[in-house]
Amino acid sequence: MLELFEALLYSTLDAAPALVFAAVGATFSERSGVVNVGVEGMMRAGAFAAAVAALVMPTPLGVLCGMVAGTGVAAIHAVLCIRGRADQVVSGIALNLVMLALGTFLLEALFTPSGSTSIAQLSRWTLPGFDKVPLLRALHNHSALTYLAMVLPFVAHAAVYRTPWGLRLRAVGEKPAAVAVMGVSVAQLRYTGVLISGALAGLGGAVLSTATLDRFEHHMPSGLGFMAVAAMIFGRWTPLGAAGAAAFFAFGNALRIGLTSSLPEISHYLPQGVLLALPYVLTLVVLAWQGKGASSAPAALGVPYNSERR
Amino acid sequence: MVGLVTDVGGRGDHSFNDSALRGLESWSAGMALKSGDYQPLSATDIAATVPEALKDKVHPLGIKPLVVQSKAQEDYRPNLQLLVDQGADLTVGTGFMLENAVEAVAKANPEAKFLLIDSPLLDAKGTPITLPNVRTVVFREEEGSFLVGALAASVAKKQVGFVGGMEIPLIKKFEAGFRAGVRAVNPQLKVLIAYTGSFDNVAAGKQVAQDLFNKGSEVVFHAAGSDGLGVIQAAKEARAAGRNVYVIGVDSDQYPLAPEAVLSSMVKQVDFAVYQAVELLRQGQFTQGDIALGLKEGGVNYAPIRVELPEKEKIVATLEGLRAKVVAGEIKVPSNVSEH
Repeated sequence: MLELFEALLYSTLDAAPALVFAAVGATFSERSGVVNVGVEGMMRAGAFAAAVAALVMPTPLGVLCGMVAGTGVAAIHAVLCIRGRADQVVSGIALNLVMLALGTFLLEALFTPSGSTSIAQLSRWTLPGFDKVPLLRALHNHSALTYLAMVLPFVAHAAVYRTPWGLRLRAVGEKPAAVAVMGVSVAQLRYTGVLISGALAGLGGAVLSTATLDRFEHHMPSGLGFMAVAAMIFGRWTPLGAAGAAAFFAFGNALRIGLTSSLPEISHYLPQGVLLALPYVLTLVVLAWQGKGASSAPAALGVPYNSERR
Repeated sequence: MVGLVTDVGGRGDHSFNDSALRGLESWSAGMALKSGDYQPLSATDIAATVPEALKDKVHPLGIKPLVVQSKAQEDYRPNLQLLVDQGADLTVGTGFMLENAVEAVAKANPEAKFLLIDSPLLDAKGTPITLPNVRTVVFREEEGSFLVGALAASVAKKQVGFVGGMEIPLIKKFEAGFRAGVRAVNPQLKVLIAYTGSFDNVAAGKQVAQDLFNKGSEVVFHAAGSDGLGVIQAAKEARAAGRNVYVIGVDSDQYPLAPEAVLSSMVKQVDFAVYQAVELLRQGQFTQGDIALGLKEGGVNYAPIRVELPEKEKIVATLEGLRAKVVAGEIKVPSNVSEH
């Protein structure tokens, strides 16, 4: 029993980081009032850039390049939405489509259509002593990014809820005009929010191509970006909530995998498809349950700010 | 001249399309594409790409290849029509995704000949149909899976695993063959089965494989498309952590992805299916209709075992013995899990 739980925990910790980073990142953008459905495209950029950069430099630096690439895609989104006051959902979807095609195009131009050349995978940390203790063993032998994914949500939560900057960021997503009256730049705060979101989505993508696998594979991130947005909504637009939801999704997935291989009979009662759809169903339930009335979504979310017309 | 239309995977996919191109360009035409031009290949270069079992069956046929790559689903039809207009004596559609396009173009051009790989022609309701100018080839995946199942059971002591992609009839064929192969060698072995639910999610494949390895599977066979890359990665990492586990690849020889961890691969000999059709065309014996290629016809096989194993010769002898029995019809490999 203990071994089973340990395996579940290990599997969750190994699979969750990409989702955690992207989901926590999305809260920064949305808290500032900019809808970000472009997470998928930002992750793809991050995954691609990290794998390509790691061919010529140490992999950890490649991961940083992945973050830069994610930030770059987010910058386009930010300019379109904040400066151009474009429809934020349309901009996000357009970026997803562009990154899908651009990734494929660059892959074909530089490597083979199916994937890039393999790189040195991020090394795994061995924690002295941990490998002998049952249960704690699950914390052992992960890449550094897994440990970062355990710490980052708390830092992000503190930044959003315990600092003056975080207060302004949240205010700009609720009532930007009020923030502007205080003499604080709405655009600047929103740019920062969107760019942080892009950097973290890029980091999430980089996890896929440097820790999960050791190269960019042409399907990456295969829908994980949308799942990250779902996790953010499920976590009620807070960094800790989003990270918790992401971890919950990863745990649910690990549980599904563990159950179906150990108890194949379960598929007679509960089709796999139902279990696979569960995270999305839960997200819909949360959305339907609280709506915008319960004030979990920022009030000015999706509304371009126009100082001439407040 | 023989034309070929790739599916969206295209040239360089290390799998289905590359295999079809090998059958056409290297084996049938004896040529290779180098910097945009066809250059003749030497006999030794060609021989290096032909597996042992097919050595005496493959000889250059002196045809001219013409290949068009598809970038999107919408390209299939115009690409096929383009080759027909160029006067191709035979036009090959690579992969089941071209089924609709081959059907439409074949109907519009009754005088042209077509070869469709990996799917029969289907009408709107999904019932197989035939056209007088189309030859279709499918593979008996269960027979190849049977041999790699036997291989897994020869290497493992207690438990083996299978990772499928989506739970669809095609993948169930792999599972059924694999189970039968394991049982033929060691009925006491435990077989764990898991499905990822996708074909494009490396992370899911890895997570599923980690689960199977953690539960004690010593050899895992995957039929999960790109998810399988994650399965191979999991095996590689488990080996790096000091566990003696192996993975068996699928479709093409996946040995280059992880030389130390890939025990073998269940290979679909798409190259041979293409070659065979071209050969028949040259001999004026091209026939329409549905062909199923199994072990007997050289359509499926296991890739060479390149890792070091104790008693490797004995294992290979066991596999060859089983192959002979399947070829002779003494063993009928089930293609459906419920036949167990």
